[in-house]
Amino acid sequence: MLMQVLRIILPIALFAGLIQFWEWSVVYWEIQPFILPPPSAILAVFETDGASLLGSAWTTLGTTLAAFALAVFSGTALAALFASSRIAEAALSPYAVILQVTPIIAIAPLIIVWVGLDNAWLAVLILAWIAAFFPVLASATAGLKAVDPNLRDLFRLYRADFRQTFIRLMVPSSLPYLLAGIKTAGGLALVGAVVAEFAAASGNTNGLAWRILEAGNRLQIAKMFAALLLLALMGVALYAILSFVEWLLLHRWHGDRRRA
Amino acid sequence: MSRDLRLDRLAKTFPNGTAALGDLSADIAAGAFVSLLGPSGCGKSTVLRLIAGLEEPTRGRVEWPQTRGSLGVIFQEPTLMAWASAAKNVALPLELAGMAKTQARERACGALEKVDLAGFADALPRELSGGMRMRVSIARALVADPDVLLMDEPFAALDEFTRGKLNDDLLRLWAERGFTGVFVTHSVFEAVYLSQRILILSGRPGRLVADIQNPAPYPREPGYRTSAAFNATARDILDVLEEVSTC
Repeated sequence: MLMQVLRIILPIALFAGLIQFWEWSVVYWEIQPFILPPPSAILAVFETDGASLLGSAWTTLGTTLAAFALAVFSGTALAALFASSRIAEAALSPYAVILQVTPIIAIAPLIIVWVGLDNAWLAVLILAWIAAFFPVLASATAGLKAVDPNLRDLFRLYRADFRQTFIRLMVPSSLPYLLAGIKTAGGLALVGAVVAEFAAASGNTNGLAWRILEAGNRLQIAKMFAALLLLALMGVALYAILSFVEWLLLHRWHGDRRRA
Repeated sequence: MSRDLRLDRLAKTFPNGTAALGDLSADIAAGAFVSLLGPSGCGKSTVLRLIAGLEEPTRGRVEWPQTRGSLGVIFQEPTLMAWASAAKNVALPLELAGMAKTQARERACGALEKVDLAGFADALPRELSGGMRMRVSIARALVADPDVLLMDEPFAALDEFTRGKLNDDLLRLWAERGFTGVFVTHSVFEAVYLSQRILILSGRPGRLVADIQNPAPYPREPGYRTSAAFNATARDILDVLEEVSTC
């Protein structure tokens, strides 16, 4: 009981202490606000520039979620295709790998030229999708391959067709893998979106990365911190929501990972 | 009723060159309980997979009377869908065959009752003990009333007590349903206790080295395990195994 209370209270106390120390040390060592602003100054930014920051956060979040949804859908669909046809897997998987191993930041300028700077939002969407796509594909493919061979035999024995085998056996077997990949993809979609916004480096994208660039150029360090804070909160929220979905779907039969 | 199941000069060599089975012929009478006995690596499981149609024989064939009989299979592992309740697992063969869900569930619950799991229809596999999971597996194999039940060392991973209890349950179900039982095991005593006939396999590739009848009448009670008749049959088998222990 005491341990449980400590496990909640201790991290909060530590966090509050660190913030307090930050505030105090900036004053004590007379650190310039364009090097390190105190937490109070960062909070104050939300009063002056709150509307524009939240608007940008909304933009970035929108592209991230759209790219994430696209990645989950397309990654799962391609993995299903791979599972049903080895030829398709052999022919297509190299391209998926190439797309994955080439750094997003290096592809970004090309994509931006292709879609045009006026459509920078589309470039951001495409790049965030590329970043998030591969973990979904890889985990779904691994999951679909991890089906218990005895169960597969059983389905064959009872003359299950591909559709029955896929829905009743392969999808549920691969769910733990797929959800782990999806959790990673959520964070990567955000990373991809921000990287693409930086590469576009244009007010056209109007996302949080643009606010950071803009504030950096004007040495508004507190505003940069405020934007960073929003990005971190978004990432954490995404991860928390996806973890919760994973728990909802798996905890009954997979929770303690005991063998069945 | 169905006639015999014939294994006609069955042989299986795997693509990697492993000769698992060479030239096995045997007639298995409808309704009989037959064990395939031998050390691991004698192609016992391969015989089951050939009968089940999960592998194609390299030579020879499995002859069914007229049409292929309906099959039930029990693997060494319970092989349950971890995400589905006991009833859902048992209903699988029925649902795959197109039976309506409510009807399938009703029959699945009936099958679970037969293996003393009446109260566990909605339990998930991980909530059941090893022996109970194996019972669910037995219920699933029998739910569609198969003509032939294939069992691949189903109780090898269970403790002595659970194993003995499940042997008795299996014989009771066999007496009730009248399926043909083909039981693969490497336990001499399990083979003797269960079977009317024991086919001993040996060698690599596996081949039939002895065909031993066990005339002890059914129902066999646990006391049979310590009887003179049991010992005599076990002795015969052990003698054969000693002669050919090359596997």
